Amino acid sequence: MRFSFNWLKRHLATDLGIHQIADRLTSIGLEVESILDPEEIFKNFKLVQVETVEKHPDADRLNVCGIKDARGQKARIVCGAKNVRVGLKTILAMPGAVIPSSHEVLKKSKIRGIESEGMMCSPAELAISSDKGAIIELDNEVDLATSVGEVLGYGGGIIDVSVTPNRGDCLSVRGIARDLAAAGAGDFISSDAKPFKDSFKFPLEVEYERSGSCSQYAPIIAFRVIRNLKNGRSPQWIKSFLQSAGANSVSAVVDMANWWMMDSGRPLHIYDLKKIKGHLSVRFAKHREKFVDLKNVEHHLHQDMLIAADAESTLCVLGIMGGAKVACDENTTDILIESAVFDPIFISRTGTLLNLTSDSRAMFERGIDEASCVPGIEGITRLILDNCGGEASKIFVAGREPQQKQAVTLRKEKLLSICGYDVDWASAKAALKKLGLREIKSSVAEATYAVPRWRSDINIEEDLVEEILRITGYDSVPVKRMEDVFVGHDKILHERKRLTEASRLLASCGLSEAITYSFTKESYAEVFLEDGKPIYLINPISADLNVMRPSLLPNLLLAAKRSLNYGQAGVKIFEIGNVFYDSCAQERRIAGLRAGSAHDRNWLQNSRSVDTFDIKADIFALLDFFGVKLKNIAIEPVAPPYYHPSRSGSILLRKKKLGHFGELHPKINKLFGISESLVCFELQAAALLDHKGEKTPYAPKVFPKIVRDFAFVFKSKVAVGNIVNALYKLDPLICEVDIFDYFKLDDAQNSIGVSVTLEAVDRTLTEDDAKGVSEKILKYIKTVGGELRAK
Amino acid sequence: MTETEKLLASCLSEIEKCDSLKKIEAIKNVIFGKNGKITQVMDKLRGLDQEDKRKLGAEINSVKNEITRQLNLKYSRLELKELNKKLGSEFVDVSAPARPRSFGKIHPLTKVSEEIADILSYYGFVCADGPDLENEYYNFTALNMPDHHPARTMHDTFYINTPSDEKGRHLLRTHTSPVQIHSMLANTPPYRFFSIGRVYRSDSDATHTPMFTQVEGIMVEKNVGFAHLKWLITNFLKKFFAAKDLSIRLRPSFFPFTEPSAEVDLNYEVKNGEMAFGRGDKWLEVCGCGVVHPNVLRYGNVDPEKYQGIAFGFGVERLTSLKYGVPDLREYFESGDRWKSTFGFHHVS
Repeated sequence: MRFSFNWLKRHLATDLGIHQIADRLTSIGLEVESILDPEEIFKNFKLVQVETVEKHPDADRLNVCGIKDARGQKARIVCGAKNVRVGLKTILAMPGAVIPSSHEVLKKSKIRGIESEGMMCSPAELAISSDKGAIIELDNEVDLATSVGEVLGYGGGIIDVSVTPNRGDCLSVRGIARDLAAAGAGDFISSDAKPFKDSFKFPLEVEYERSGSCSQYAPIIAFRVIRNLKNGRSPQWIKSFLQSAGANSVSAVVDMANWWMMDSGRPLHIYDLKKIKGHLSVRFAKHREKFVDLKNVEHHLHQDMLIAADAESTLCVLGIMGGAKVACDENTTDILIESAVFDPIFISRTGTLLNLTSDSRAMFERGIDEASCVPGIEGITRLILDNCGGEASKIFVAGREPQQKQAVTLRKEKLLSICGYDVDWASAKAALKKLGLREIKSSVAEATYAVPRWRSDINIEEDLVEEILRITGYDSVPVKRMEDVFVGHDKILHERKRLTEASRLLASCGLSEAITYSFTKESYAEVFLEDGKPIYLINPISADLNVMRPSLLPNLLLAAKRSLNYGQAGVKIFEIGNVFYDSCAQERRIAGLRAGSAHDRNWLQNSRSVDTFDIKADIFALLDFFGVKLKNIAIEPVAPPYYHPSRSGSILLRKKKLGHFGELHPKINKLFGISESLVCFELQAAALLDHKGEKTPYAPKVFPKIVRDFAFVFKSKVAVGNIVNALYKLDPLICEVDIFDYFKLDDAQNSIGVSVTLEAVDRTLTEDDAKGVSEKILKYIKTVGGELRAK
Repeated sequence: MTETEKLLASCLSEIEKCDSLKKIEAIKNVIFGKNGKITQVMDKLRGLDQEDKRKLGAEINSVKNEITRQLNLKYSRLELKELNKKLGSEFVDVSAPARPRSFGKIHPLTKVSEEIADILSYYGFVCADGPDLENEYYNFTALNMPDHHPARTMHDTFYINTPSDEKGRHLLRTHTSPVQIHSMLANTPPYRFFSIGRVYRSDSDATHTPMFTQVEGIMVEKNVGFAHLKWLITNFLKKFFAAKDLSIRLRPSFFPFTEPSAEVDLNYEVKNGEMAFGRGDKWLEVCGCGVVHPNVLRYGNVDPEKYQGIAFGFGVERLTSLKYGVPDLREYFESGDRWKSTFGFHHVS
């Protein structure tokens, strides 16, 4: 909601300046987004008149103009606008001026050899509209001594207020002035239209369904005809005010309706009467009935939209927007004015279905002053007759003004409890009175109020409390200490903390934490989806973010790619977050990705690419952190198809799937355009968080260990991890099994070096103990196809 | 000079002359050998009477001890000298770079979420969680935003293709407030809950990303009102920014789920490119809050005549940017290396 300070001052008698008013507005909940101060913006601009126009000797499209200002000071300006001509009054930016559209400082410069001492501006350059074809043309009557701010409607500065959706009454300058007055920022100047003498009978036949839904959604609708007016240009004051609100001037009648709406908060619609064929009906649209709006966009209407129609076609979607067919133009002499009350939700639904926004819709859906229907017509009639002439008909009213809203009772006890402190009852009541609430009855404990018609947002006791606090000022609310409460075990917080600690662990393993979008590209989702179907966004912001990620990996890969492209040799990242699939499944996962070089290039180690065992180390660091014992883990050489088929695996925790890891399939490198090696893992966080590790009782270890090394040859394919697991279970004396060597002897045979450590908690081991265990090991190895390697 | 004194002097001078470990053995022989210096003096004992024998014998013994001590001393000196000579050839350039060990960084949002959780936990709030995938009922209706409420259209909601059901269309939650309803329905008052999580709006420019992070808190008790809310927000912000002079401004606003509602601005000024809180004439919005609307309490199965609630919400990115000077919002989710190395947190921080 934009308006000029001078406009506000039509309704508010105040001594405060624009900045003080802005502060006051913000403090009563009408947040000021910006103040445009013309003194600042239009420093180094002035009004000038063109005296001479000559062709530029070296450029066909340019003219060299002589101009003069109010004090007769002359200057030479090079200008390319087609509409420049002798006698034109326009706006000149002088050297040093900051051009509002570009924020650049204008300098004196030579254009094709001729020095230009400034620039005559287009509306676009002054950032008042997008019109950049021609320079501004001012009315001939304008005095050159007028300030630029004044002619551009900046009268006293422009205030831009962000109005919250509950305050329909403050979508008007009058409403804002009323609220300011209630807050003590000045006196409200009431401007009720005087009763008006009509001169003829309402000439149209109007059909309106009095009973049923029509009267439910449009309880009252009123019309008046004005004949024989002259629809010329608007008076300058209206144009200026409209400009300050960011609206363009169209014609006198249309401008006045717009101005009236913004000034009073009463939307009105004006039809060109001569374009209406036959009788007028207010009815529901037919299924797919055609409607061409003011901007010449065609719509197909629904059966539950209310329209005004004549014998031939739809004239207006009521409360939202008029049609092109009955729009007023400079030849209009007879008009029909419509003023109505509509149900806010009904208007909101119609507007959403048609995807049409308008000031009128915004006002109706927030709720308007239901008593303003007929007074609104009276007000605009006066304005039109005064400025355009003509005579007015009687007012035709269909339906009934909605009943006065129910009164609202405020209990003192409730007021104190919501506020949380001892509010003074008398000043609370005084605040409501200032806002125009009328006390109907009152006792020591409570007071009942009639709510003014323009405050459709005040319906319950709590609304009254907010009004009291708003007007007495949130600043005056004291702070009250809350009672101390101590939180016991907080499971969800504990899980959050565990995951944050896991993040720190992964970071100490070298991986950096990434947080990526929860959505990704459809083609990636398809590849990384394991179960079920992906979830699509119906209205994505871009085709690259149109599906919920079924895995953390695709967005990590994109992040890795960005870093690799940027010149990083190795990328190490992880993310903890949700994945989504199958209509509403949501699952928290932990994923890590290593790409490219395993470590920074250095003089101590040979460069190498990351491999599966780098990423496996990250997993085992995590497992250790979550208290998972190795014996509860199994690795299987199968993984989803986006992994390298023979360099990846699944990891099982107590026989339940925990996740997968390994090198990614080369098709993934291709899909993402990454040539470096990619290894990754993705685990289910819940399985780790829920894992209950068993505790081993403490036994001090004081007896020496025995270590035995074995070299085995296997003639068939082996899974060395399974052998390690099996060896652990072979004998209680075995406390550690390490693989110190693992290589291919030839195509068929593998050589594996195993180191086994024995330990007892209660005695020193003997040679016989070692011998016994060794025999068990050899026997077991035979069963899995291995034998001791010959020396 | 006595015989023994002479003996000592001559032996010590032999030891003195020795300059390698190998020569030590030869010297030992010259002194203690069969025809060694000591043996020669010992021979002289034979002709002496008992008293002289005992006296000379004792003298010789003490000379022997002294020589042995000196020899050992010499030995270790020479040994060290030779070892050092060998070590000298084992030179490494200590100025060369160390073996690389790299650490990752913690994302600022994780760090700040943790800080926030700690403060709210201190104030008695229990952590709650809710799904990112919501429906119209929990995201709007139960928060007092009925169908076609103008506030719904302000939310730029992402809808998903999951078929609608009795709870309405399915969507990505536009705020963390639905967690309030879930938590209220699952518990009986009094209670205090907070929730931190991702929320989504179909909006993208320099100051908006389609996904961002919110923290939300609600408390429902017999005796809590607007003044307590003001205390809580003030104290939370003071703790979070570790600024005891921090000042805030509450200004009336509108949220369908609170009445009265307020937005909270932080007072700051920019000094040498740094933000200083608690002074100056600039204000920055950081929080929305209010007294819970009675309709919301009813949706949460709470009797508004018995209990009252206060609720608040913060944007976590905004708090992070303010506290740690992270500039562009979009970069939070790009995971750029340079960004992380500047704004990421040390892995043990």
